[in-house]
Amino acid sequence: MVNWPNFISQLFNGLVLGALLALISSGLTIIYGTLGVLNLAHGAMFMLGGYAGWVAYTYTGSFIVALVAGSLFVMLVGVVMERVIIRHFYARPHEDQLLVTFGLGIVFVETVRFFFGSLSQSVPAPPPLVGITPLGFMFYPTYRLALLGIVIVALIVLYLVLYRTRIGMIVRAGIEDSAMVDALGIDVYKVFMLVFGIGAMAAGFAGIVNAPVVSIAPDVGEAILVQTFVVVVIGGVGSFPGAVLGGLIAGEIISITSMFNPGYSYVMLFVAMTLVLVLRPYGLLGTAGRE
Amino acid sequence: MLRRRFFIIEALTAVGLIAAPFVLPHLGFSPTTMNRILVWGLFGIGFDILFGFTGLLSFGQSALFGTGGFVAAYLLTRMDFSSVIGALIIGTIAATVVGFFVGLIALRRTGIYFAMITVAIAEVFYFVEFNPLSEYTGGENGLPGVPTPSLNLGITTIEFNSDWSLYVFMAFWYFVGIVIGLRIVRSPVGAILSAIRDNPLRASAVGHNIHAYKLTAFVIAAAYAGFAGGLLGVLQAFMPPDAFTFETSGQLVMQTAIGGAGTLFGPLVGATVWLYLSDFFQTTLHLGATWKLVLGVVFVVLVCFLRRGIIGGLKDLGLWLAGRRWRGSPAEDAPAPVEVPRLASVGPSRRRNEKPFLGPALEARGLTKRFGGLIANRDINFSVGQGELRGIIGPNGAGKSTFFKMLTCEMRPTSGRIFFHGRDITDVKVARVCQLGLTKSYQVNQLFSRLTPRQNIVIAALAERRGTFSLDLLRRIDRVPGLDTQVEATLAMVSLTARADVPVVELAYGEKRRLEIGLALATSPSLLLLDEPLAGMSPHERKETVLLLKNIARGRTLVVVEHDMDAIFELAERITVLHEGAILAEGTPAEIQRNSLVQEAYLGGMAAA
Amino acid sequence: MAHCQSPFARTLSRRAMLRQAALVTAGFSTLSSRFTSHAWAGDHPAIGTYPAGSSGDTVNIGAAVPRTGSYAVQGEDELKGWQLAVEHINSGDALIRAIAPKVTKGLLGKKVNLLAADSGAKPNQAVQEIQTFINQHKIVLMTGSTSSAVAVALNKFAQREKVLYVTGISGSNDTTGKDCVRYGFRQNFYGETAANAIGPLLVKQFGKNRKAAFMTPDYTYGHTVTKSVNDYLGKNAGWEMVTNQVSPLGTQDFSQYLTNIANSGAEFLINVNWGRDAVLSIQQAKQFGILPKMTLVVPYQIPFLAKETGAGLTAGVLAATDFWWTLQDKYPLAKMFVEAFDKKYGYKPEWGANNAYMSFAIWARMVSEAGSFYPPDIIKQYEKGETFPSTVGDVHFRKEDHQLVRPVVIVRGKKPSDMKNKEDYWEVLEVVPGEALMQKPDAFGCNLGDYT
Repeated sequence: MVNWPNFISQLFNGLVLGALLALISSGLTIIYGTLGVLNLAHGAMFMLGGYAGWVAYTYTGSFIVALVAGSLFVMLVGVVMERVIIRHFYARPHEDQLLVTFGLGIVFVETVRFFFGSLSQSVPAPPPLVGITPLGFMFYPTYRLALLGIVIVALIVLYLVLYRTRIGMIVRAGIEDSAMVDALGIDVYKVFMLVFGIGAMAAGFAGIVNAPVVSIAPDVGEAILVQTFVVVVIGGVGSFPGAVLGGLIAGEIISITSMFNPGYSYVMLFVAMTLVLVLRPYGLLGTAGRE
Repeated sequence: MLRRRFFIIEALTAVGLIAAPFVLPHLGFSPTTMNRILVWGLFGIGFDILFGFTGLLSFGQSALFGTGGFVAAYLLTRMDFSSVIGALIIGTIAATVVGFFVGLIALRRTGIYFAMITVAIAEVFYFVEFNPLSEYTGGENGLPGVPTPSLNLGITTIEFNSDWSLYVFMAFWYFVGIVIGLRIVRSPVGAILSAIRDNPLRASAVGHNIHAYKLTAFVIAAAYAGFAGGLLGVLQAFMPPDAFTFETSGQLVMQTAIGGAGTLFGPLVGATVWLYLSDFFQTTLHLGATWKLVLGVVFVVLVCFLRRGIIGGLKDLGLWLAGRRWRGSPAEDAPAPVEVPRLASVGPSRRRNEKPFLGPALEARGLTKRFGGLIANRDINFSVGQGELRGIIGPNGAGKSTFFKMLTCEMRPTSGRIFFHGRDITDVKVARVCQLGLTKSYQVNQLFSRLTPRQNIVIAALAERRGTFSLDLLRRIDRVPGLDTQVEATLAMVSLTARADVPVVELAYGEKRRLEIGLALATSPSLLLLDEPLAGMSPHERKETVLLLKNIARGRTLVVVEHDMDAIFELAERITVLHEGAILAEGTPAEIQRNSLVQEAYLGGMAAA
Repeated sequence: MAHCQSPFARTLSRRAMLRQAALVTAGFSTLSSRFTSHAWAGDHPAIGTYPAGSSGDTVNIGAAVPRTGSYAVQGEDELKGWQLAVEHINSGDALIRAIAPKVTKGLLGKKVNLLAADSGAKPNQAVQEIQTFINQHKIVLMTGSTSSAVAVALNKFAQREKVLYVTGISGSNDTTGKDCVRYGFRQNFYGETAANAIGPLLVKQFGKNRKAAFMTPDYTYGHTVTKSVNDYLGKNAGWEMVTNQVSPLGTQDFSQYLTNIANSGAEFLINVNWGRDAVLSIQQAKQFGILPKMTLVVPYQIPFLAKETGAGLTAGVLAATDFWWTLQDKYPLAKMFVEAFDKKYGYKPEWGANNAYMSFAIWARMVSEAGSFYPPDIIKQYEKGETFPSTVGDVHFRKEDHQLVRPVVIVRGKKPSDMKNKEDYWEVLEVVPGEALMQKPDAFGCNLGDYT
């Protein structure tokens, strides 16, 4: 006894949620694929994007400025983080890298809490996008539709950068074999810095773009972080198409499960991840190589 | 590895635990804080064995902590179980069993994926505790009313119901935990765990079933976690659901890193710092919610600058103060004695009582390996007689390394079969193959770089003495029968006795190469594959290594891949030439030198197509 | 041996060491649990932190309050209420003396000191903090909860440690129901009384046989409030619960739940979510067009809800609450409280702050009337059930379950255009007397424990 209108609505919901996850996860996956560092501060970057955007919004009243400010600020944070801290960890064991990004994540969150308190802040959607759109099978918040569109555009831009530009080619080569890239005379460290910045920016952009949907608070990043990992693992580490596919799958799993029992939706995600790991060890679209 | 001054550490621990109640309160530690520190410390001993010693970073220990705690609490609160100690033990057993099954799933992957699965498991357990099983676990309320322990000694009953008596109880169990932990770390299993962390590839290649050892480490960590969880419930008279959260796992990881991983005491130190600072920031400095920020910054700073935590930092400080000039000769290659010791002492293993096999020692039939469209090895038929010294040569890209990898079962062939002493080993794993007597030394050194040469050889010899897996957790490593003899003999064979206790990083290249060969020798192989043993050596070193190889060859079958033509023509009885993935020619050195196809392959390469 | 003196050795006098040794060996005492030391002070045997906690000239109170997490905002508000109460007790403010006439400057001649630590709304952390307070500071009173899970945990802890506990905000029926304890007291309203207060209003305004969708946070408070409200509306007016969307505490994105609700055919959205979860779910419900199409009911109101969601969203919303500052026009004590709070903190108090203040004021009354800090005496004073004044009129405690019998305030959100100042979010519709709203004392399985 499936409630069909509900089913379609949830499928659509899953699409929106999945697109957002895909964007954030692409950032994480290219960082891990290129640098070999699993950025446990990625969720915090999502949160920082939201806050930076919100601050910009309060000063200028413009949503576009907020978007740009949020993304650029987080890119800057990513670049600085790589240059000042992460760079010294490439030679150290993996666990140390995990630990330092984990610690940095906590520091970012608590710093924001220190300056802005725990009260949640809302960023209103820009006026043209406020309101509800009738979609036939349901009424859907206009902004969420716009969000879907914006995120898809962002993903396409990211795709074009990765697959159609020279710098993107270098990044993809770095994902495959950074030693080789280095041997070819390309300044690998510049590439790393750039990749970290881009990856962080993806999360930051997602953070501000999502702010009108879920008002921001210091801990918005935590839940997102775990879901992002799951997406990356399902899709395959280091694979941009994998992140997109993984994101969509994750979004749909969450939504469809919540039709039946919302409490189980996140658990199903983990079950799915474990299944993928057991059956297809490198994720759906990943390749052997980085562990 | 922990120094071998047995019982000093245990004694110091006991002294510390006894002295703590007299010293720490003056520094602002309340008895409950001290008890909490002990619980985290105990939780951490197992985690340190898993993470610090074996290198497996798990974010899922909370699942086992909670399981042990809730089983114990449930028995005590809902089922009127009378013995607290009994409930704790049952909780520990439950956690151990659960840990076994969780480990089976999680350890299928390594590194990041392993960490991810542990995160997922932690979240799932938390959810299950909260929801479906909330009847038993009290859901978000947890299980209140956990009683304090009492000990019935017949004549009298001791009740541990005040803060200080609980301290005595906890300190006792912590001491037991440390003693067991130290035993484990000093056992052969402990040494192998460290080796797995250092170089899992080689640990497997010298004959250890590393998956089984990792699972052992995981189960040990689960047991400690379960017991600590039970203690938490007793300490608070309340078993909280937060025991299952990701934050609990995260806190454990951070405390261990702060204190120093791989020291067993790191978690205790880390917990002390963490709890003390959190109290200090909140109650004394009234920083309120900022305590977490300060703690986070402290943590990041420590991870950046004190690579091995506080204990590591203290050790370094101690070494620096004590001066470090007690080490032996500088890292030059001390000229090895020209006469090579008699090799009878490192013969093929006495364990293997096979009937002697009369056919070829090693045989490959139709061996092929494809990587996508690239054919690395094409339909190779290869056979080596018993006791033969075979050389394999070929231009770069001929597929020699791939061929070797398949022979030792490090890589599966696309098609074809391999036979060792008549036995089909195609589907056998590398560790087992090594135990059967077939092993390899690597072109690029695969050493246990954090250890000394003696310790390296010990790892290999342990596999030879004990098989692929042995659960001798409580045995002292120096009590393994025959180990010392094996180790000393091997060291002597590769002339490293004088430098046996120098860390590997300080060895000269030639010495490292000899160690590389020594590792393979220590497994008492009957067939040894050597992948470019002379790579990167000076002429003097080459001469000696050739002598060494000649020695090793007596009583064994050797297959050597080499580029150094002079050496290989001197050494080998027969030579096989590989070219573009297939066998081009085979014969005595003289025949090969005269073979025109071979000459073309090396000089031109076009004619063969 | 002098040259080996470490800084610590100097502080370790021989006497201190002997005392410590005595403590440790006393821990091995073969006496059973009741009396671990023979120190008798006053005319009462030692129990909990008595008499150690009140033998000096200061007594300490320990509060575990969420300063991080989903309930951080409400926690800070509560903390201010407690701080104001402590200040008033120490200065003998007129407001305190109206509730606790025997308080002069300080309580029984002692200064009151408040210690607070972050609980993050987690039971374990709260217990940990309180345990430290008991050990280090010998607190004579503990408080703190915003999550009922914390209240239940602290209830049990109080009973074990024999230290009095007054709840902070706790809406679950269980706190004075099946999880009640002799050492715990609750002053605020809870699920059952909220349901019975708001129910009749809903039925009167909207009639019978309506369809309602519930949103419930997945823990004790959520489940009990939903059950109470649904029971009332179902039994008395034939309302149907067409769906109950249960979400974990801390959910950010409610789109899945809201989609289910949008397709459920409900006319009313009864949102039991609390804290930030309520803010987010209501904001998102608007985005999905569910509000104002459906009518929103908040059976257990949240402090700062209107401020965080924006007044536009709370206009017309019916809610049951503990206190609202416009009650100052009706109750003189409320006026004094609101003025004092506004003066000190620059904004009008929400009900969390009022609850915090009242719980301390009541405790001060009980202690001063009993004339001692001996816990069983104080408990018996509460249980006498005397009527006394409060910021919502006259109230008294019910001895069977330690719940304060007090009114529930029904409010309705004001439209932004009707607001007379920037804090005028709600209009008080009715103040419903509490007695009739409460369940029978034993209906929820309350079994108070021992006094000692």
